[in-house]
Amino acid sequence: MNEPAIAATDLAKSFRGGVIAVNGLDLTVPRGSVYGLIGRNGAGKTTTLRMLMGLLRPQRGEARVLGHDLWNAPRGIRQRVAYVSQEQQLPPMKSTAQLCHDLSRLHERWDSALAGKLAARFGIRADAPLATLSGGDQRKVAVLLAFAARPDVLVLDEPAAGLDPIARRQLMEEIVDFLGDGGERTVLFSTHIIEDLERVAEHVGIMDRGRMVMAGRLEELQTGMRRVQIIFNGAAVPEGFRVPGALRSHAEGPVLTAVLRIGSEAQLDALRATPDTRVADFPLGLQDFFIELLDRPLAETSPSI
Amino acid sequence: MLHFQLNVHTGVPVYRQLMDQIRHYVASGALAAGDALPSIRELARALAVNPTTIVKAYGELGHEGVIDIRHGRGAFVAELQPVWPAARRRERLQVLASQLAVEARQMGASDPEALDALRGALAELNGSNHPTPPNS
Repeated sequence: MNEPAIAATDLAKSFRGGVIAVNGLDLTVPRGSVYGLIGRNGAGKTTTLRMLMGLLRPQRGEARVLGHDLWNAPRGIRQRVAYVSQEQQLPPMKSTAQLCHDLSRLHERWDSALAGKLAARFGIRADAPLATLSGGDQRKVAVLLAFAARPDVLVLDEPAAGLDPIARRQLMEEIVDFLGDGGERTVLFSTHIIEDLERVAEHVGIMDRGRMVMAGRLEELQTGMRRVQIIFNGAAVPEGFRVPGALRSHAEGPVLTAVLRIGSEAQLDALRATPDTRVADFPLGLQDFFIELLDRPLAETSPSI
Repeated sequence: MLHFQLNVHTGVPVYRQLMDQIRHYVASGALAAGDALPSIRELARALAVNPTTIVKAYGELGHEGVIDIRHGRGAFVAELQPVWPAARRRERLQVLASQLAVEARQMGASDPEALDALRGALAELNGSNHPTPPNS
C-alpha cells in the first residue's frame, strides 16, 4: 500500500485561445498525509485539481487517485474521494437536511451523526433552502458534505475563501479531527492562506505558471530556506560576487542579501568564511519565501511595450 | 490547558516551537514533575495543527527525557529532568551566549548591561520555581 494517494505526472492542459493553464506538472501526495498547494492567481491550481478529480481531461500526462484515473474510475473508488470546488453548485431549492438524506443513500460510508454535528457547529440552518444561505454558509455546507462522506481522499480548492476568521478556524479544526479519526486520511488543499498551510500541511507544493516550481516536506522547506545577509567591509559588493545556490540576490551598497535553499549548515559555514565580510542568516517563513520566489520584477514577467 | 503561542510565519517548524515552550514551562516550574500534558488530539485541535506535529514534538521530548510517554495513558513531565553532559551543555551555552553577545553589541548595550539582563532572566526563573504564596 505504498502507492501514493494522488500521483500526477507531466500533466498539461491548455484552454481555447491558447491559454496554457498547466504545463508539465508532477505532483505526489503520499497516503495519510496533508498536502498544501500554493501559487499565485492563475498559476493553474484549480485546473490541476479538476484534472486530478477526473472533471477535466488532461491533454498530456496522467493523473491517478487511489491508483485510478477518476475520469473513468468505478463508483466505489469515486466514493472514496471528496472534492470541494471553489464554485460549488449545490441544488438551490434543497435544504441541507434533504441533501444529506439523498447523499446518505448514495454513499456507503455516509456519517449522518457527523453531518448533524457539523451543521450545528457551523451554524447552518439545516432546513433552509440552500439558495437562501449566504455564500459563506453555502461553502460550509459543501465542506460538511465532503466530511460526512468519510472519504479516504479529501480535496479542497481554497476551502477558506470567503469564510470569516471564526469559520476558517472551525474548518481547520475539523480538518485536524478528520486526520485524527483513525483512518488513513489524505488531504490535498489549495490555499492563499499560508498560515493555514503551515499549521496542517506536511507537504507543500508551490505552483507557478502551470508548473511545480518547488515541492517538499514543509519542515525541510522551513529549515532549508534562509535569508543571508553579507556585509562587505568595502563600499560596495565586489563585482561578480555570487552566492552559490542563491534563488534570488540583491546588492545595495556593501550589503548583499540572498535567499537560498541549503542542504546543510556547512553551506552557510562556507559563506561565513568569506574574507572581509560579516555574515548573518535568518530563517525564512513560508510566506516570505513564497514572495521571494514568485514576486519577480515586472521586467521579467511582462514583455516590454 | 496551558497556553501555547504558535507563530507560524517565523519559519521555525511548529513542532520545535512546541518543544521550546514545553521546555520553558518545565524550566519555569509552570509544569511540574508528573504533570500530564494535553492529549495529542486535544492539543492538535486546540492549536489547529496537524496531530503528527504534536506526535513529533512529544516524541522528541520523550527521547530527550523531558517527558515520559506512557502508552495508552498519555504524556507526563518526567520525574527527573535530563542532565546534559557537561561538554554538550557548554557547547549549547556557547551558541546561545554568542547570539546574546552579538545582539547586545549591535543594539549598543554595554557589557554590564547585557550581563545584568542575563542575571535578571536567570533570577526570574529561580523565582518562579519557588513562587511566593498569594496573599491569603
